[in-house]
Amino acid sequence: MEGSASEKPALDAKSEVTNQLIDFQWKLGMAVSSDSCRSLKYPYVAVMLKVADHSGQVKNKSFEMTIPQFQNFYRQFKEIAAVIETV
Amino acid sequence: MLLDLSEEHREHLAFLPQVDSAVVAEFGRIAVEFLRRGSNAKIYEGAARKLNVSSDTVQHGVEGLTYLLTESSKLMISELDFQDSVFVLGFSEELNKLLLQLYLDNRKEIRTILNELAPDLPTYHSLEWRLDVQLASRSLRQQIKPTVTFKLHLNHNGEHNTKVLQTDPATLLHLVQQLEQALEEMKTNHCRRVVRNIK
Repeated sequence: MEGSASEKPALDAKSEVTNQLIDFQWKLGMAVSSDSCRSLKYPYVAVMLKVADHSGQVKNKSFEMTIPQFQNFYRQFKEIAAVIETV
Repeated sequence: MLLDLSEEHREHLAFLPQVDSAVVAEFGRIAVEFLRRGSNAKIYEGAARKLNVSSDTVQHGVEGLTYLLTESSKLMISELDFQDSVFVLGFSEELNKLLLQLYLDNRKEIRTILNELAPDLPTYHSLEWRLDVQLASRSLRQQIKPTVTFKLHLNHNGEHNTKVLQTDPATLLHLVQQLEQALEEMKTNHCRRVVRNIK
C-alpha cells in the first residue's frame, strides 16, 4: 500500500466489481479547543483512505473516530484476521 | 429609454382593450401573482370561459402584460418613457393610465423578484473550527504538530453544503492577514469614492 498516487493504480480482477483500496493513512490527534468548547482534551484517530474505482479513478475518503469507536474498529479487524486463519 | 415591443407582443396585448378595465386590473394582479409563485394554467381556462374567448388568447394577454411589466421594471424606465412606449399601442387614455398605475405599483416588488434570478454563488452560512494537536501518524511517531480544522457551512441555491478544511497555524495567520487586508481596501480613497458615487 506504499507508492505515490501519480501512477495509475494497478487494478486486479476483483476491481471490476468492487473498489480497490490503494492506501490507508492514519493519524492520532488531540483536539484542544473549538468554537463551541474552549478547553478540550479529546483524542481521536483520523483515517484517510485512497480508493480506486473500476475505471482507475482515485477518490480520497477521510473520517475520524473517537478512541472507543477506534477500539471497535480494531476489534473488527482482529475478528476478520481470526476468521481468515480458519479458512 | 423607450420599450421596443415586438409584433407578436403587440398582438398579444391587443386583447386588453377588448375587455373592461376591471378585467385588465385583474390580469395585472394575476401577472404579478404568477411572477411571485409561478403560472397556473387553470386560471386561464376559468377566465377564458367567463370572457367567452379561447384560453390561448387569455394566456397571451396575461403573458404580454407580464412581459411589459418585467421589461419596464428591469430597465427601471421613467413614467414618461413608459407612457410613450405604451402610446404606440393605440389604447384608450383610461387603459394607458391603468397600465401606468400597474407598473408604478408593482415595479419595486418585480425588481426584487428579478434580483433573485442573478447567478448564485455559494454563500457563507457559518464556520466551525477546532484546534488539534497531531501526536502521531503512520509515518512519524512522537509528534507535537498543531493544526486547525474548519467546517465551512455554505448555502447554494437553497441547498446546504459543508466543506472540511485543515491547515497549520502559520497559514491560518497568513489567511487572516489577507482577509484583513481585503477589508482595509474598503477604507482607501478609491473605494470610498466609488461607494459614495453609487449611493
